[in-house]
Amino acid sequence: MSLILARKEKRSSMDIGMFFAALLTLGIFSFLYKDNPVYKVCEAIFVGVSAGFWAITYFFDNIHKKFWLGVFPQEGDSPDYWLWGGAILGFLMLLRISNKIGWIARWPLSFIVGATAGLYMMLYFVSNALNQVADTMMPIVAYASDNSVLWLDTFGNFIVVLGVVTGLIYFFFSKEHKGLFGTGAQVGTWFLMITFGASFGYTVMSRMSLLIGRLDFLFGDWLGLF
Amino acid sequence: MANTISIILLILLGLSLVYVLVRTLKGNPIGRRIVFLYVAIAAAIPLFMDLEVPLPITTDVRNLYDALEKLPDGSKVMAAFDYDPPSAPELQPMAVAFMKYAFKRDFKIIIMGLWPQGPIQANMAIDEAMQDPEIAAKNLQYGVDYVNLGFQSGNEFVIQSMGTAFKTMFPKDYRTTPYDSIPLMRNIVNFSNIDFVMNFSSGEPGTIQWVQIAVDRFGSVLGAGNTAVQAPQVYPYLRAGQMVGLLGGMSGAAEFEKITAEKGKASTFILSQMIAHAIVIILILIGNVAYFSEKRKKK
Amino acid sequence: MKNSLADRSSGGIICAALITIFFFSGPLHSQEDLVSLSVKKIAPPSSLLATDHKYDNGNSISLSWVPSIDDALMNNPIVAYKLYRSSNDTEPNLIAELPPGSSYFLDNGVSTDNSYSYSVSASTNAYEVLSNRTESITPQSEWINYNKKYLFLMVMIISGAIMYFIVSAKRGKELFVRKIAGLEAIDEAVGRATEMGRPIMYIPGIQDMDDVQTIASLTILGRITRTIAEYDSKIFMPVARSLVMTAARETIKASYQAASRPDSYSDDMVNYITDEQFGYVAHVNGLMVREKPATVFLLGAFFAESLILAETGNSIGAIQIAGTARPAQLPFFIAACDFTLIGEELFAASAYLSGEPMQLGSLKGQDVGKAIAMFFVLLGVLAATVSAAWDIELFNNLLDNLNELFS
Repeated sequence: MSLILARKEKRSSMDIGMFFAALLTLGIFSFLYKDNPVYKVCEAIFVGVSAGFWAITYFFDNIHKKFWLGVFPQEGDSPDYWLWGGAILGFLMLLRISNKIGWIARWPLSFIVGATAGLYMMLYFVSNALNQVADTMMPIVAYASDNSVLWLDTFGNFIVVLGVVTGLIYFFFSKEHKGLFGTGAQVGTWFLMITFGASFGYTVMSRMSLLIGRLDFLFGDWLGLF
Repeated sequence: MANTISIILLILLGLSLVYVLVRTLKGNPIGRRIVFLYVAIAAAIPLFMDLEVPLPITTDVRNLYDALEKLPDGSKVMAAFDYDPPSAPELQPMAVAFMKYAFKRDFKIIIMGLWPQGPIQANMAIDEAMQDPEIAAKNLQYGVDYVNLGFQSGNEFVIQSMGTAFKTMFPKDYRTTPYDSIPLMRNIVNFSNIDFVMNFSSGEPGTIQWVQIAVDRFGSVLGAGNTAVQAPQVYPYLRAGQMVGLLGGMSGAAEFEKITAEKGKASTFILSQMIAHAIVIILILIGNVAYFSEKRKKK
Repeated sequence: MKNSLADRSSGGIICAALITIFFFSGPLHSQEDLVSLSVKKIAPPSSLLATDHKYDNGNSISLSWVPSIDDALMNNPIVAYKLYRSSNDTEPNLIAELPPGSSYFLDNGVSTDNSYSYSVSASTNAYEVLSNRTESITPQSEWINYNKKYLFLMVMIISGAIMYFIVSAKRGKELFVRKIAGLEAIDEAVGRATEMGRPIMYIPGIQDMDDVQTIASLTILGRITRTIAEYDSKIFMPVARSLVMTAARETIKASYQAASRPDSYSDDMVNYITDEQFGYVAHVNGLMVREKPATVFLLGAFFAESLILAETGNSIGAIQIAGTARPAQLPFFIAACDFTLIGEELFAASAYLSGEPMQLGSLKGQDVGKAIAMFFVLLGVLAATVSAAWDIELFNNLLDNLNELFS
């Protein structure tokens, strides 16, 4: 059984698709040395294939699957006439090619921006403002059930409240950062920088994972070394 | 044998850093290409090793696991795949471990994606999970035990519409079976019929939108697996209880594999990650030592 | 719009009718069919009520009942309550199984197109006894969710503040916005590129026009390209979204016209590359290395590509001015760029540079929102701290009210 699996893996490593994938990976990696013709070829293939992929995806998922099958349904489903509204707005976008009536293309754009802003306004207000404010309303001094003070939790709560308030001060644009307000903003900057540092660490981890994924592909899937 | 050779190579790599330090202190620092090479070697060698890494389970992973454990067997779980191949090294191991765990618990899984490639990644995770003999023996049926509703364009508006009825956004699954003909979907109208939502996300639309709409608007219970880049952004939601748990990056994936006893790629990759991080930290320290000694010399 | 009071009273009438029917009529289902005669019969659950769940979009019905009198804590013969739903008088289907002691269920699997009737059974290991079946009920959808009244109030206050400041700005009132570090650097960076005779690269992030950061970025682009047009420098702008391409071309064209140099404008300044994140990055990286721009602007919504782009820009020695409201990407910009607009500073910069009443008013209105948030955070922390330490009723009530307000 293991022999069959091993042979199968061997065959897959010789797969033409995998061979190209490996070459393209190495080609893109070559940029780390310097810009070179191999990188340029890989870059062009990447851009071309991905642009093609998205064009096809948008066409089939939106125009064909959503609109066409929606207004001309199969198997006796009732057509969804609302989709014509979207189609008309989509068509108006194409008027951009005309110099005379190109301005009409701004209407559907306004619709997209307006609808998204409307949805986002409530979503962000509830999730990012109200719920976060409610979560910050915490006692600075944390007590255990036997009324003794939990110093570590107290410190944690204090840091959260201080961070939220000074962060808000930093992003307050109606007042110059001077005096006590300026000190608050300065403390807010420290919080931001510490947050960014932690975030940086996480991202290094993420980038490293991507590298490991590629190395696993090259040595494992392609060359079959493990 | 491979372990021994790899450890020797890693020791040699570590020793060579002493030379780098000396060189740097003499005012002759190494170039960026050498840094790239160091990181590549440090990440590659551990892939050949077979060592168990001691990994403590963090609270966020444990909370997610506990929330899943509390679900009765056979619960209806939605798995939203919002990522594409570039993020697969981090998210695919989580997805595979989650699928294995979910199938073994007999959860009924409903898959969907707000990214076109998401449901494809889901199918790959299912295929891998199905290779597990215990799961294969269950003889799970598509449409009865799990279903892939596929991709739907429209970003967060899709989640919003699903709050009223899933069917409006997914009249058919990815195999073009009508919604009403899928046995699993018969009694599922919207989020209120789903016991748990698990989102694998590498950007937007992703976990943030699931929190804002599925949780805050429609009251779903949400757990998520995120790339490490995105994890810090969702921590405020986690703290505020808008999510029950989080798997952050490769370490989150490895911890989840460990806690569910579903050893997979993340458990192998985590050693590479640790060694590569160690090298990066040492190089940062060397850089700083050089920077401050240079500064002192100038004074 | 539906009158909710009328709804409530009609709901009450239905409830009363159901109770009356329950007490003065026999069971609608034949329980005997289900009960084994050889074992002692348990009492069925009673007073089953099905009412429309208020303030929803018509997809739920509330069910409540009195548990069976045999439902006991010790040696409970009942193992589950089973709920059956009949849609449009068709055969009842099992919709839920609930543990002993349950007396409430919210059925979310309904729609306004159908009418439903329910029955609940107490189930032992051997048999089950059914309650009466309810009258048919059709769920109603409501236009207004009164549970969200405080949310509405707060949104109105902040929106009102924004409107007030927009109107004030339009009437010519000077609105103060604090100085934002990095903005002065823009003209300097454009000037440097002109002196060196090298182009300027502008990257508006990789999100579409529905992202407010892209919109802010294009507003700043308008101001920058005006300076570029005046200096007669060169700009090139690779984009990842077709809509952004068209909008950016419009913006740049308008700036060149405003600077009285319409002939210098060319559509080639803005090019669509691909929607694929890393495909776009691969191309922009190559472009940076080949074109060697003197100045790179990275303003907008960025994801994983931020570090790669900023690092490449840094390696070619370009002056880099970055800005994004995505917290995860800011660290890289701060590390690799000369100036960074942090978070909301991007929008503030957009408002400041454009001087548009809409943007300035929005910024000031949001400041009101932030002041309110700060006030409530501090008030809540005070109430929670005093309440936890001394258990004073006034502060306990204050905390409860605040929690209700923000829930």
